[in-house]
This record gives sequence, structure tokens and C-alpha cells, in this order.
Amino acid sequence: MDDRLRETLSAMMDDQADELAVRRVLSHHDQQAVRDQWQRWQRIRDVIHETPGQHGALDVRAAVSASLDQSHAEADSHREAIRRRHAPWRWSAVAMIALGVAIGFGAGSGWDVVSGDGSDGLVPVQAQVPAAASGVPQVTLQGLDPRQREQVSRYLLEHAQNNSVVAGQGAVGYARLTSMSGAAQGY
Amino acid sequence: MLALVWALLAAGPARSAEPVTADDWLLKLGPALNMTTYRGVFVYSRGDQVSSMRIAHRYQDGRVEEKLVQQDGANGEILRRGSRVLCVLPEHGRIHLDQVIPSGPFGEAFASQQVPVGAWYQPQLLGEDRVAGYPAVVIGLQPRDEHRFGYRLWMEKHTGLLLKSHVRHNGDVLEHFQFTMLEITDQLPDSEFEIQSGVEVKEITPFLPVADNPGEMDGWALGWQPDGFKPVAAPQASRGQAVAFSDGLATFSVFVEPTGTVEMPQGASRIGATTVYMHYALPAASSGERYLVTVVGEIPPRTAMRVAQSVTVDDRNALVRTLTE
Repeated sequence: MDDRLRETLSAMMDDQADELAVRRVLSHHDQQAVRDQWQRWQRIRDVIHETPGQHGALDVRAAVSASLDQSHAEADSHREAIRRRHAPWRWSAVAMIALGVAIGFGAGSGWDVVSGDGSDGLVPVQAQVPAAASGVPQVTLQGLDPRQREQVSRYLLEHAQNNSVVAGQGAVGYARLTSMSGAAQGY
Repeated sequence: MLALVWALLAAGPARSAEPVTADDWLLKLGPALNMTTYRGVFVYSRGDQVSSMRIAHRYQDGRVEEKLVQQDGANGEILRRGSRVLCVLPEHGRIHLDQVIPSGPFGEAFASQQVPVGAWYQPQLLGEDRVAGYPAVVIGLQPRDEHRFGYRLWMEKHTGLLLKSHVRHNGDVLEHFQFTMLEITDQLPDSEFEIQSGVEVKEITPFLPVADNPGEMDGWALGWQPDGFKPVAAPQASRGQAVAFSDGLATFSVFVEPTGTVEMPQGASRIGATTVYMHYALPAASSGERYLVTVVGEIPPRTAMRVAQSVTVDDRNALVRTLTE
């Protein structure tokens, strides 16, 4: 799967693909790869949105073709058709935050406000910034647009998931834990 | 009477084996998190966010069962049975989230006891305290270099259960966990681990397959990471690649992906002890295509920056190929 194709799929997920790009997806030689990637993202999206698994047997080709046909019939913009069709799956920062809070991570919420004077590096409201942070370029999250915030939220959630796998290894049981205690590398 | 004698006999050796040094206590930490049976309410805060959860946790027949109920805002529930996790959000139905949800509030930091943290943190017995009605010993973990944060742990004196923890830097508390109500007990009834009826059940296949080779980086390389951080098993990223590293206490994830449709700012942001650092990297054989490198973890901003800036993308095709595998 090439870069542009991946990007198109991603854009479709975000309801931002144009028709030409979507047709390119439909004509891609490796439909299995396209389907797999699409379904994988959709599962993640469904989890985030608590949407029952409509994706289970979803064929991206059929679904997208239907969208295109519909849009032509209605002389509507393809983008709008896709948007309506997939509206329930829309990946929103709010939903991610809701899940993040539910799992105790508060992904994307509660960010420290970072002052922008640049002289002393990061200065969150809550606590004095680590001294080592001076000279580190800073990003004020309050200044991000919604899509940028979504992306940051996604990283936070995936990091939390990484952590959950790390923790999951230790949580399986004491026996498994101690059996690995001699091996510093683990896993 | 006989039972009492037996109880005293049984308690005797356990009592005499009570840990005396900070290292002894740390060995007890991981097991106690899983094998203690308790219920209570804890608060968790980072940045300006505070949340509280009710928890019931039991260890029975070698299996961990745990139920967490969000006490603020949306009334989410998490039920863990062994390695299976069920997430309940009553308004929206119910979804299985195998391997998605951590094993509890401390899972992310403290379950990885297989790594000798003593090499990277200086453990110290700081004294005694009392938390949620239970006597506790206080353990300090001072980082041995500037690449990680410090920890302070309050452990219940008899079971070793973690009652309270801080992630700290220069005396500031960046992240705070603490029981406010707690009952350590021998057993809890099944009813504590049931989910209310009337909500639709939805099971999905785990959507985050664990990578076969932890730390494998196809098409890119990490030029630097703080000593002691080892690659750990990590799920695939939804786009691009992700690799997670842990030193036994702190964890950070590195995401590398081709530039998407969203232009991200470069630099560091922080929530509590968690830093996000975003950085654009150009492949060695420059095709003009940029890659977004994002480091997320419980590490200082400067550490995250050094890690992110050390990433080199050297095989564009390999990186793209893995997206479909």
C-alpha cells in the first residue's frame, strides 16, 4: 500500500477524501490490503464511538461504491454522501477524551497551560517546569485546531494502549511475573 | 480456638518476613497489586484534571478480577476478568476492549517488575505515614539521571498494596494517585464484579495485535534513548509505526508516520507527568517527503525531544510497507 493510498483512506475516515482519490482506492490492485487497513481503523473508531460493529463484514469497495452511486444519483457532492454515511463513525476528540477519562487517563484533557514567553521554556500552570526543559520548543495545546487536537489525542490514547500491553504482561499472574524477573529484557 | 491458633501460626512467618529495606518493599509491589483483595475509592490527578474511581479487586483461584467505576462525569465502568477486559458506557452499549485498557490505575507504571529499577532510580525508605486509614511505608525513587522523573510510593505495611503514589520532579508533584477510601479484605462477593443488566453486549476482535518483535523498527532508527529504556511489546499504531520503551517505571512510545493531511506544530506539551513531543524528520535519501515523529511518555520534555530528534528515517519503502502488513 503506497503512501498516497494510505493517506486517501485516512482522509476517507475523516470524511475529507475527494472523489478522484476514492476512485483510486477502488481501483487499487490490492483490495485485500485496502480492506484490512480500512477495517482496522474502523474498529478503532467504533471502539472510540461505542458504535456497534457495523464494520464486521463491511466491504470497503461495496460501501464506497454505494456512496458514490448515491452521490451521483442525487447530484450531490460525493464528499457529503460519504460524510452522511459515515457520520456515526466520525472520529472526534471529544469521544476520545470521553474514553480516555473513562479509563483513567484523561487523554487530551486537563492539559497544563503553557506560557508562551519562550524565555524559560515550558511553564505549566500546575507545577514548575522541569529545569531541563528550557530550550525545548513548546506547543500550546489550547492553540491547536480541532483536527490537530484529535491527532494529539490519538497519540495519547495509543500510548496508553502501549502501556496497557506492558501492564497486561505483568497482570497475567504472579507466576508469570516472577518467571520473568530474572530476565531484565522481559517478553 | 483452634482456628485462632492456626491463624496465629500462619501469620507468624509472614510477619517475620516483613520487608525492611526499600528494595524489599519494591519486590513486593507488583505481586501485591494483583494478589491483594480490596475495594475502595481512589483519586487520580495529572495536570489540572482530577478524577475518582471506585474499585473492587479480588484475587481468587489464581485469577484477578477487577471492577472500576468512574465517579465523575460520564459513568463508565471497566470490568477485568483475567486478561479479558469489558468496558461499559451505559448510554452507548458495551464493548469488549481486550488488551486496550490497562490493568488498573497503577498498571502502566508499576506492573513491570521484571526490570531492575534500582539501576536507574535510587530507592530510599522515607518513613511511615497513614493513608485511607491504613499504615503505610513511604518509598522514594530518585532518578539517577535527568532523563526521567522521580516517584514516591506509599505501600500498605502488611500487604504491600500501593495506597498512594506521586510522580515528582524537583519537589513538584506531576501526577498523583491516592486511595481515599479502602477496605482490604480476604474475599469479595461475586456481586461486586457483575455488570448491571439491560445494556447491549458487543464483542469485538482485539484490534491491536501485539507486534511479534518488540522494538522492531522497520525503516527508521532511534539514535538515542536514555539508558535503561528497553523495547517492550507494543501494539501496532493505527497509522505508521509505534514502538514502546520502558525502564520498569516510566514508559514512552515513539510514533513514526508519513505526513498526513494535518500539519502539526513541532515541540513539547505536557499533561502532568506525560509529555508529547512532535517533530518532523526528513528521510536520509531525501525525497522531500517528511515524517512526523511523535514521542509520548512519562518522561521530561527534554528527554522526549532528544528521543524524537534522534529518529532517522532511512527506508521509506519499508515504513510504508508495514502499514499494510
